[in-house]
Amino acid sequence: MAVTLFEKYGGFANLSKIIMAFYDKAIDSDVIGPFFDDIDMRRLVDHQTKFIASVMGGPVAYADDTLRRVHATLAIDRGSFDEMSRLLRETLQEFRLEAADVDMVMNEIEARAPAIISGQDR
Amino acid sequence: MSEPARQISMDMERFRSLLLDSVGVALAVVEPEQYRFLVRNVAFIEWFPTADDNELTLLEVLPTLDRAAMEAELDAGRDYRIEVEIKPKRRVITLAIELHRAVGPGRGEIMVQCQNISKIKELEYMIESYSKMIERQNRDLRKEKERVERLLLNIMPQQVYEEWKQFGVTTPQRFEEASVLMLDFVGFTEMAVSHEPTKLIAELNDIFTSFDRIVEQFGCERLKTIGDAYIAVSGMPESNPEHARNIARVALRFIRYLKRRNAMSEFNWEARIGINSGPVIGSVVGVQKYVYDIFGPGMNLAARLEPLCGPMEILLTGEMHDLIQQEFRMTDRGEHEIRGFGRKQIYRLENDLAPANDSHFY
Repeated sequence: MAVTLFEKYGGFANLSKIIMAFYDKAIDSDVIGPFFDDIDMRRLVDHQTKFIASVMGGPVAYADDTLRRVHATLAIDRGSFDEMSRLLRETLQEFRLEAADVDMVMNEIEARAPAIISGQDR
Repeated sequence: MSEPARQISMDMERFRSLLLDSVGVALAVVEPEQYRFLVRNVAFIEWFPTADDNELTLLEVLPTLDRAAMEAELDAGRDYRIEVEIKPKRRVITLAIELHRAVGPGRGEIMVQCQNISKIKELEYMIESYSKMIERQNRDLRKEKERVERLLLNIMPQQVYEEWKQFGVTTPQRFEEASVLMLDFVGFTEMAVSHEPTKLIAELNDIFTSFDRIVEQFGCERLKTIGDAYIAVSGMPESNPEHARNIARVALRFIRYLKRRNAMSEFNWEARIGINSGPVIGSVVGVQKYVYDIFGPGMNLAARLEPLCGPMEILLTGEMHDLIQQEFRMTDRGEHEIRGFGRKQIYRLENDLAPANDSHFY
């Protein structure tokens, strides 16, 4: 069986570090930082780690319906989504994922944009 | 104090405050009566901005601190530790605050040390969440495995399954000493036309389930069913010196079971049974669709005896007759020509001369 990106980059042990580093950036961002006011970061980091694990072929699956439901009330616009993507790409690069693998992860996430974006650009 | 000495002293002062501010933890020292701040570093003020006010005490800056509980611990010579959540910027962070009394000369000042343990908390949460996830997945896998195992055990004997599981293949095996039973029902095709299919299949299912129990009771194995045909074996895959006697007993119990059943039912199930002892080869056949099957003269002869049977008759040949004649009563049915085997002396199995005591259910 082909090795998934999830396995290639150290499974949950390493992925959780990447996601924690990503949120440090996200919270400091003026664009998307406010989304995280009053958010239980433990749960968010947990879910996000599982979500990224799922797009990397890990042992979790998130249906688009689930994504749509959990993001529905957040009114995330395209600009915020792009900022999130930019920060995630930056983090993945810092953790030395190969360029092609970074592209793959980002493409997977972009493919789910319609389920995540629910708000009009401000 | 000379100018150079004063210079050094100033440098030390500056060094101390730089050191204090450069460590990653928030530090403060308070006097033990009013809890007024004597020292606090930049990190402390960042996390507790009100501590910048000289008029406020630690108890006011940190209202969740339980003074009595803390003093009890400190007086006992232990550290006092609490966790608090603060929100200096956007993010709620969890601090571990440790208080202990300064040792050495002085009034017993209280040292306050705060560390950001948010990451640890996040990791703890994740570990717990993943453990649960993994446990759940393990449970699902185990269930799935049991289900698959049950299915596979329907199509191959346990021993063969174990081999298949361990090595991924099974080797065909020759069993010199084995017995085979072939059964089918007289007029099943007509029954299938004249009765309601659901009811007929329910009947057949019920009968075969009872057969399975009888087969198991005598240490034999059901090999398979094909339509209304039922095939059982004895002496394989595990060898058993009693194989011929066991299969003969199974055949008799089948007939007895059917007679009792027919007496109370609208259906009249009449079986024909051929039994035979002889060498067979057992193997899993098929790549995508596995099936465990047996081949060889032992199997073929039993299959060819069966059509010679009358209703509710059990037939066998001379070789098997010799094996079990001490324990069973049989009648001679004369010589018959059997395709592939030539002329054979055929016997009908009548009854067990020493029926087992535990078989009264059937």
